[in-house]
Amino acid sequence: MSDHINRVVIVGGGTAGWLSAGIIAAEHCIGSDNSSSGNRFQLTLVESPDIATIGVGEGTWPSMRSTLQKMGISETDFFRECSASFKQGTLFNGWRTGADDIYTHPFTAPQSYTEVNLAPHWQTAREQINFAQAVSPQSALFAGKLAPKQISTPEYAFNVNYGYHLDAAKFAEFLRKHCVDKLGVTHIKANVTAINSAENGDIASIATDSQGNIEGDLFIDCSGSRALLLGDHFGIPVSSKSDVLFNNTALAAQIPYSDENDPIESCTLSTAQSAGWIWEIGLPTRRGIGHVYSSDHNTEERASEELLSYIASTVSQQAAAAATLRKVQFSPGHRAKFWHKNCVAIGMSAGFIEPLEASALVLVELSAAMIAEQLPANREVMDLVAKRFNDKFLYRWDRIIEFLKLHYVLSQRRDTEYWRDNCEASSIPEPLQDLLKLWRHQSPWHRDTNNADEMFPSASFQYVLYGMDFETLTSQTQRRSEQAERLRAGSLFQENAQRTRQLQSSLPTNRDLINKIHTFGFQKI
Amino acid sequence: MSNYQILSKEAHKDLRVSTMRSAEYGDNIMYTMTFPMEFRDIQSCYPIFFCKDPESGQLYPAALMGFEQEQNLFLSDSGWDASYIPMMVRRHPFLIGFQADPDGPEGATKPVVSIDSDSPRLIDSAGQGTDEGEALFNQDGSPSDFLQTSIGALESIHRGLEHNKGFIAALLEHELLESFTLKITLNDGSNNELMGFYTIAEQKLQALDGDTLAKFNAQGYLQSIYMAIASFARLRPMIDKKNAQLG
Repeated sequence: MSDHINRVVIVGGGTAGWLSAGIIAAEHCIGSDNSSSGNRFQLTLVESPDIATIGVGEGTWPSMRSTLQKMGISETDFFRECSASFKQGTLFNGWRTGADDIYTHPFTAPQSYTEVNLAPHWQTAREQINFAQAVSPQSALFAGKLAPKQISTPEYAFNVNYGYHLDAAKFAEFLRKHCVDKLGVTHIKANVTAINSAENGDIASIATDSQGNIEGDLFIDCSGSRALLLGDHFGIPVSSKSDVLFNNTALAAQIPYSDENDPIESCTLSTAQSAGWIWEIGLPTRRGIGHVYSSDHNTEERASEELLSYIASTVSQQAAAAATLRKVQFSPGHRAKFWHKNCVAIGMSAGFIEPLEASALVLVELSAAMIAEQLPANREVMDLVAKRFNDKFLYRWDRIIEFLKLHYVLSQRRDTEYWRDNCEASSIPEPLQDLLKLWRHQSPWHRDTNNADEMFPSASFQYVLYGMDFETLTSQTQRRSEQAERLRAGSLFQENAQRTRQLQSSLPTNRDLINKIHTFGFQKI
Repeated sequence: MSNYQILSKEAHKDLRVSTMRSAEYGDNIMYTMTFPMEFRDIQSCYPIFFCKDPESGQLYPAALMGFEQEQNLFLSDSGWDASYIPMMVRRHPFLIGFQADPDGPEGATKPVVSIDSDSPRLIDSAGQGTDEGEALFNQDGSPSDFLQTSIGALESIHRGLEHNKGFIAALLEHELLESFTLKITLNDGSNNELMGFYTIAEQKLQALDGDTLAKFNAQGYLQSIYMAIASFARLRPMIDKKNAQLG
């Protein structure tokens, strides 16, 4: 076994596996037989021909744009082959009071965010206009189901920031083709039968039923929640987060449009229920609708009733009657560490929590990007990189969990035990309790996050806090800069209103633009 | 608004077409689509850039006539002051329409000459005996020389559209187009910024390998590319024209 890290083996071929393969292969040239170049890097993905992929994670963050672009993927091909549509953020319904109360978390930061913090200035007008609408044009675009760009906008560029909704199964297949045909990834179809250890406890190779032993220097476990390598083999336990985030079951359905020209939502819809929430994701071909709930607070029967009644009221009675529900159970949490010896877990093998802020795919992107960038040169430094990786991702998981929890603790709902339990202090992580205290007196802003690894920008906190009616008390003291800043804020609010009108009149609908992508495609320039 | 109808000697026998050039006739256009086959003539009068059709995002070559919407610096009281007028301007009020082809396979269409019956260029001479403009049909119902020339122009445009597709695809494949912003400062100190246009990426062009150059040469693209680059020189006279208007 060579001391250099040249051979990377990915186990598992779902979205996590192929996305990781693409990200790493796009960074590292894969040596063919041209030993003259001295490049001996090899990337192999072993996929079971028998295990179907779960296909979770149908929503992405805007980060997916640059991820795809770096892999050399044409955005037009991606739209055409993955049934993709535009996602500009999330619209939350019923989270505040349980009535039809709506707020949005758009991907675009407030107007001139790095320059002025508009949140305190909005406080005085909070009765007249909701926060997101006052500071960003994007929630008005959600309402019109408008696209974030035009057909003449180059691929990956935008008028307003966006990510995607996609068909996860098609996406994995699309990435597989790209990885194998364009990026030189070796694809092996076989079932893993055993794991062979080296003397130092590392994984030396994996044994397969039909392709013999596959040796490697670094093994990436993308085998799903079972975590064949990190979990089964190394026994790294899951740290459960079920005391913070209660949801552990999902019922998912795919609902066709009544008419093929029905509008496509340009954000994820999240509607609060008695003990969970229902997602709705609009693809060009169908809507993905599902209910994620806490089985400790709700029965499957009741949860499916709530889901079907949602489908009946938002789509049609017939759609509800024809719906087939697929049940997925999960234990919210993540592995106690992600990188152990020469094995690192990415995707559901690393952890899983409810998809409230679509954090699954972005964690895959970030994990694979860090491995691609910091690929250890040899076995000796691997442990150092592993420690860095673990520290970074434990930090990130904590922040994600706190951010998701924030959505619940701000709710005024007390109608069920689920909502009451969610506000129990014992279920709220301490750092979040501290932040809530602080935010009573000062609003979050980009200056107070000095960590470059922050998962959610402070703007996201603003959108959720003020969308949920959180009140930051006005300061008792006056600052010298206040007068000038108030004037500036006033003109920024006006600019935003103007820009909103301009975008509303110039942007096509989501459906129109997607049709045009299928007919004409985006230009690269 | 336009209202295109298929041209027929029955319905349109008394129509005459004014060939005058003025803003009232819709000639006050900032730019118009052009085709490699007329680049030689275009580049002697107008700069050639590339722009996108807002409906499809597809790129096409365009001849520039002004620096802002509805500004055509070549238009004056005495008409269109240039030795060559682009085909897409001359085609008015005609357009190629498509009609089901009964002789072809199912779903096949054939190009037909259409006319914009709302065009301000049209003069109905029925009973008035006017000789303003050009007649479409001779007394015996045969197409006039003017109409035959117009049909010839439409046929050229039809071929030109196909030619543009291949030309643009080749430019994009070799990344030979780049977006650019043209900043023009006029004598009165005002600034005009032209955005949304594309031009030949000369550095990429200079780096092309011999095989690609030979292929481009054989396809006629090489000449078109250099004519587009040379046409930049026509910007200066346009700026002078604009400055002269400012007085």
